[in-house]
Amino acid sequence: MTSDAAIQTSLRGDTAMLLRPAKQVMDIERLGAFHQSRLSFMRTLVRRIFRERWQIEPVRFELDPKGYGTVVYEVSAPHGIFSFVLFSSFLSDDERNDRVIATKWDLTMALVEGRVDKAYVDHLAQNVPKQEAGRLDSRVFVLSRANRSARNFNYVVDQLAAGKQPDIAKIAEVGYLYRTTAVYGSGKLGMADWDKVCDKHKDFSRPFAGEMFVCWMLRNFSLLQVEHIAQHQSSNTYQPMQADIKRYFGIGNSTGLGMAPYLVNHPQLINQWIEMRELALARVRTLGGVNPLIKQNLIDLINRCSLHTRQTITEDERQTGHNQQMIEDLALMKRQVEADLESFDALVTWSEQHCLVPAQEMLVSILLEMHPELVDELEDFHTVEELLDLEPLMPLSELKMMIEQRYDWALAIDFDAEGSRETYWYRSEEKMEPRLGSIADVEGKKKHMDLAVGFAVRRCYDLLGEYINVHRNHTTADFMVQQPKLRGTVRRIQTMNHCIYGDIQANLLDKNILPMHLLRCKLAFFGVSKFDPRSRLWVRNTMFQGAPLLDEIGTTFSDDWFMPIAPTLSSTV
Amino acid sequence: MHISMNELKAALRRCFEASGYFVGNYEDAANMIVWLEKHGLKGLEELEHALAYIAADQNKPQSKIIYEDSTSATIDAHGRSSLNCVAAAVDLAQAKALASGIATITVHNCHNRMFILKALTDCGRRGISAAAYWQNGSEIITEHTAAIRSGQRYPNYSQAITNLACSGEDKQALTIICSSRVDLTSSLQSTEQQSISAQQIAEHKALTVELGIEIDKKLWAEINQLGTGILVENTERSRLDAGGR
Repeated sequence: MTSDAAIQTSLRGDTAMLLRPAKQVMDIERLGAFHQSRLSFMRTLVRRIFRERWQIEPVRFELDPKGYGTVVYEVSAPHGIFSFVLFSSFLSDDERNDRVIATKWDLTMALVEGRVDKAYVDHLAQNVPKQEAGRLDSRVFVLSRANRSARNFNYVVDQLAAGKQPDIAKIAEVGYLYRTTAVYGSGKLGMADWDKVCDKHKDFSRPFAGEMFVCWMLRNFSLLQVEHIAQHQSSNTYQPMQADIKRYFGIGNSTGLGMAPYLVNHPQLINQWIEMRELALARVRTLGGVNPLIKQNLIDLINRCSLHTRQTITEDERQTGHNQQMIEDLALMKRQVEADLESFDALVTWSEQHCLVPAQEMLVSILLEMHPELVDELEDFHTVEELLDLEPLMPLSELKMMIEQRYDWALAIDFDAEGSRETYWYRSEEKMEPRLGSIADVEGKKKHMDLAVGFAVRRCYDLLGEYINVHRNHTTADFMVQQPKLRGTVRRIQTMNHCIYGDIQANLLDKNILPMHLLRCKLAFFGVSKFDPRSRLWVRNTMFQGAPLLDEIGTTFSDDWFMPIAPTLSSTV
Repeated sequence: MHISMNELKAALRRCFEASGYFVGNYEDAANMIVWLEKHGLKGLEELEHALAYIAADQNKPQSKIIYEDSTSATIDAHGRSSLNCVAAAVDLAQAKALASGIATITVHNCHNRMFILKALTDCGRRGISAAAYWQNGSEIITEHTAAIRSGQRYPNYSQAITNLACSGEDKQALTIICSSRVDLTSSLQSTEQQSISAQQIAEHKALTVELGIEIDKKLWAEINQLGTGILVENTERSRLDAGGR
């Protein structure tokens, strides 16, 4: 078992591992090419549930024949008991809307500490279905909602009712029965703050563990619900769904711009996630041995990733092109491994010379699968106390040098070039939804969100230079009294200097900025797959596809659901 | 009504951002209020006193150092709320203390000085001991002090009613002492003071983390209403800016 101290010496100092540089890793296009890995939050959650053999049972199951009603699951985990409460309601097709501005959903859910009695469920029933229009208390720590897949839900019910299994090819097209459109935690709408969840509920004390759990439970419920409805629809002909097909159903997810500001506003947390991912890679590159068995595993995984990519269906031309390129790069990579696998380190170097960035990052995820013993223990080091602290005694010359070294990428951007400040981010009065506007909207621009770190650093650097010319020996504290407008920027610069990664190295004001990269980065840390961009501003994807099922807890667990492929379709590159 | 700390912090950030606070300042201001409330020191009550004036601060001159030497400085805050100027004053005290061992900063014309407690706590966390003293009121004068030792997480705080007459000389002053060498404590001489120990502050925090925060509906609405100043009107075109259909 590793420790904080061991991790720190691996990251910094004389005995540090050779990590990929921030300039390479924090490039926005590379961040947008990250894939799920065994450190993704879905993987780490499922590992925990299955290794600790959580007990999850429905203690209230009141669904009518059409699947509407209330269900309560009781969750017994090592550190506590929790309740997952779910409300299923009728929703007409024309009311179904995935946007954050929707007001009605097919399913609404809450994760609650402790057992719930009838009075408390009644209280939740008054609020959970209203989502943002309701209020909750500090017993609740995750709130979510989901809509049925118009293409799959009724089809699957009809198939099962008729005694048939769903067509695998159809599931490969849309791999879910429900899409979740928002999963809230961290004190939203009166719920428990993260401070409480982190300190009190050790079972959910990793980032987004509660949120991921709700999505996994939603997936399990969706499978149970289609069988329930099908059975009532035609009990004589009904057949349950086969387990391997069930596993191929995940949960759909629509993610929009709301996720993007999070990455900018939580640089220390993002840094922590990326440091652990990069440390895992460095460990495998440095310590991970190669032998014939491992080589065959690697080839199998490359095959699997290729097939997974081929089974990813999207109407987006750019993504289709990327997927095609990925398949070609993986074929090349497989040939290289078969011909000459000297070491994982050499393979990574080879990939950087012969493959495009998405395949390079796919290789990173594959390599983390090769040596779990070097990787998995890092899952316990994904939280960090987020404090942007000013260092008031720092001489201004040191601050200036810090900017020149750490933010050279920001200083290299020409913010006077055409289009370099064309975009701005703002919050709409409609549910405070983050949106991306053009500079042409003068009124809106006045209310822009402060997400342009690169531009802020550039401005700070220029003003700092002028100030130093007059006050050569002043400290940061003096500068802050004279330039209070720069307090947030200086504090961020000084704090992030203690991190290896953290700041996204891109001009978020550029007219060609692709917010999709930011969304994909965070979603990759969550562990989603099957990216299907619907515009440059929002993306559909699939969560928990291939994950083991609730009723498999207690059986053998191989933790091998990386890049899942359709159950009856198998081939090689 | 019941809200979470995170909701309060987010709403306050919007409120201060809409009131013209800068990046860095609006986070500080929100954190100062939430910190007091979270630790049972009536942050929301203090905010109610300040709320009507916060927008006016953007039209006031910035704080200015009117005297400075290696161990002391005097800052004129020009009638600003401590929410947007005291953090920088504490930073200056800290820097001087680190350089000289001990330092005193006096801030003149500064309102809502109770909010300094969060900044003092930051000093303690950074290994600097800090103490503050101020008087308040126009007819009945109260006096206040807070101090934190190096490396501690929570300060002690005391207040008392004085028999001082209003002199007009007080200038809404706040005295801050920081030391990297001496562990500072402070206690009022008054025999009828109300004191809150670091232990009590810690206990209240645990309660707030468990249960969240109760807030007057009217105040909550007011905070949120002020925060709407940063929101952009919703239009069909704006919906497209979110990738909407």
